[in-house]
Amino acid sequence: MKALIYLTGRSFVNNLKKAVKKPVTLLLLIFFLAYAVVVCLFLGQIAVELRFDSVKGLVVLLSVWTIYTFLTNLYGYSSRKGVIFRPGHAHFVFPAPISPKWILIHSAWMNYLLSVAVNLLFVLAGLTVFGVAPLRVFFLFFLGSVSEILLEVSIMVCLYTNETLPEGVLKFLGVVIKFFLIGIVVFFFFYFRREGFSLSSLSAFFDWPGLCMVPVVGWNIAAYRLILLGATRLNIIGTVLYLCTVAGMVLLACRMKCEGEYFEDAAKFADDYVEMKQKKRNGELVFGMGEKKQKIRRVSAKLSGEGAKAIFYRQLLEYKKQRYFIFDKMSLLILAIGVLLAFALRKNVEASGIASAFLLGMVAYLTLIMSGYAGKWETELKNPYLFLLPDRPFKKLWYSTLMEHVRSLLDGCLLCIPMGVIWKISPLSVAQGILIYAVLQASKIYTRVLVQCMVGDLLGKTGQEILRMLMQMFLLGIGVIPAVAAGLIMGLPVVYPVTLAYSVLVTAVLGALASLRFDSMEQM
Amino acid sequence: MLEIQELSKSYGKHLAVDQVSFFVPDGQVGVLLGPNGAGKSTIIKSIAGLVRYRGRIGIQGMSSRTLDAKRLLGYVPEIPAMFDYLTVREHVEYIRRAYASPVTAEEIEEMFVRFELADKQEKTGNELSKGMMQKVSICCALAIRPKVLLLDEPMVGLDPRAIKELKEVVLEQKEKGVTVLISTHMLEMVEELWDVMFVMEKSHIIGSYRKADVGEKDLDDLFFEMTGGEHS
Repeated sequence: MKALIYLTGRSFVNNLKKAVKKPVTLLLLIFFLAYAVVVCLFLGQIAVELRFDSVKGLVVLLSVWTIYTFLTNLYGYSSRKGVIFRPGHAHFVFPAPISPKWILIHSAWMNYLLSVAVNLLFVLAGLTVFGVAPLRVFFLFFLGSVSEILLEVSIMVCLYTNETLPEGVLKFLGVVIKFFLIGIVVFFFFYFRREGFSLSSLSAFFDWPGLCMVPVVGWNIAAYRLILLGATRLNIIGTVLYLCTVAGMVLLACRMKCEGEYFEDAAKFADDYVEMKQKKRNGELVFGMGEKKQKIRRVSAKLSGEGAKAIFYRQLLEYKKQRYFIFDKMSLLILAIGVLLAFALRKNVEASGIASAFLLGMVAYLTLIMSGYAGKWETELKNPYLFLLPDRPFKKLWYSTLMEHVRSLLDGCLLCIPMGVIWKISPLSVAQGILIYAVLQASKIYTRVLVQCMVGDLLGKTGQEILRMLMQMFLLGIGVIPAVAAGLIMGLPVVYPVTLAYSVLVTAVLGALASLRFDSMEQM
Repeated sequence: MLEIQELSKSYGKHLAVDQVSFFVPDGQVGVLLGPNGAGKSTIIKSIAGLVRYRGRIGIQGMSSRTLDAKRLLGYVPEIPAMFDYLTVREHVEYIRRAYASPVTAEEIEEMFVRFELADKQEKTGNELSKGMMQKVSICCALAIRPKVLLLDEPMVGLDPRAIKELKEVVLEQKEKGVTVLISTHMLEMVEELWDVMFVMEKSHIIGSYRKADVGEKDLDDLFFEMTGGEHS
């Protein structure tokens, strides 16, 4: 165990040293800390304004947090995905003469840190916003940071290291928890639909005695109620049952025999985790870990096109081999956003009478905030053959990104058509909206390339993305002036063609500048 | 001494290792030879306790799952994976603590010089090339002072000097009575090292040779004799 503490301690110190040496990382760290403080203060203010700043308000928050963490932890641990292992563990830790149980308990230190941090927030909020007496706050912290972590560790040990329960049973447990979580969401939905979403309905739900009777999680809530609201028969019984459960689970975890069979799953997790992080670093949209590899379809097609054009035809062939051609989870997500926004904003749009302006606003807004996904063009840049290709850089840029423009056009359809139909916008305006979406997406790609050219790895992916967003905001901001002027002078229908013309112009300039990136592999 | 009895391992429906048994005595170098996908790495991973398996694996007479057996086992995986924020020296220091190894600072220094890591001691895991990682991995395995040493494709990614050093290290370990098991598909790399070889094909050991029995016969000839493949 001492070796593991050494490992984590040194990694933490070295990581911190490196972070502090990079001014950008340090600035980002300070920014996020300041942001977190502001958010907390803002939430506290909201609680006061909504008259939620009583002890009962804190009970509601604690109940929500308890239900959420208990179920998500249970799901994570039963599927053996709740603890972060890294490939280094498979190399240096799993074969070492250290008890597999200790390895597991130690590896989950980040989970405990999160629990303690959240409990500290509750303590601070309890003392400052919710007006809870210090002694009660002390017991609250003890319950959250000691007994809850003890229970969490015991459940984790029992689910990870159980070598007698068949794998099928654990998988079944995972499925049951998943359905249970969905069931709770559905229950909440219908409850608040019937009662209306208000603080009183929220409070009434958490005052329901049945909640404290739910095994373990309900008993845990009962313990919080005992500390914060005082003794009732139900609270006392629930608390006793909860403490007995914690003691029983700790005993069970201590007695459980473990020879490290979970190492296989942990090593697989470590590989999947690295892959997921790598994908995120590349700017790809990641929906989960260990995604199954797509089945490749057999396609008999000839590659055509000469020079840079061959890049486009190769990409086309690659997409043809994919199961759903150029459609993927992102297409579904965009369709869902389109439908959701169409219904959610319907009343506001009808009341405003300027539906087409809303559509344009949505297109610009989504282009700005959505980081998008890494298409095949980004992998082209990592391929040395791209730079060896005997063709002009602009043509290489155009043919590397052409498929993405086609995808953007289709995504634009998925986004704009639902809004157009539900908001009753003319087909011509919808078509122009789709074109504007595709052009703005193209400008996003080119701005990203340009930012990469300008700052290289200096700012990291997040910094690059922020800079990209700022640049696009600036360019869009300038574009708004002629569009608004044209709209005021010649009417709303002119806004679309003016915006489209401006976007095409700006994108062409950006493309010309970005093509420099396709000239040489060596960058800043 | 390394003893494998009826070892089987499946990944889903795929049977990676099927009823494999073999034995490598103290002070001998065993070599697992075979094409990619034959099951060599799975055997090594099973011995290192990284995967579930059926059968029995004994290290110096103890089950490989026990902590006492693990204390005697050095492992160099096929693909080294460092901790991103641990320096080269800290990796070895962690190993020294985890295994309660009696290895001295001088011995560690000597290993670093031998594998050209002396000036890279303060580099962190994420700053190392693959070859460097492999060298650190070898140093860590040696820092344990193992009784059984597992080397999974150890020469891949190493420069010629490091390969030469590694070969010498293997022979030194053998002299010290350490059992060494090397998995490889590069026959020429283990030509002068092996005492007993096990040829694997499609999850099975299809045959084995002892160097003492075959005399000066070429390893290539023996391998292709058994597999029926073409000798280049």
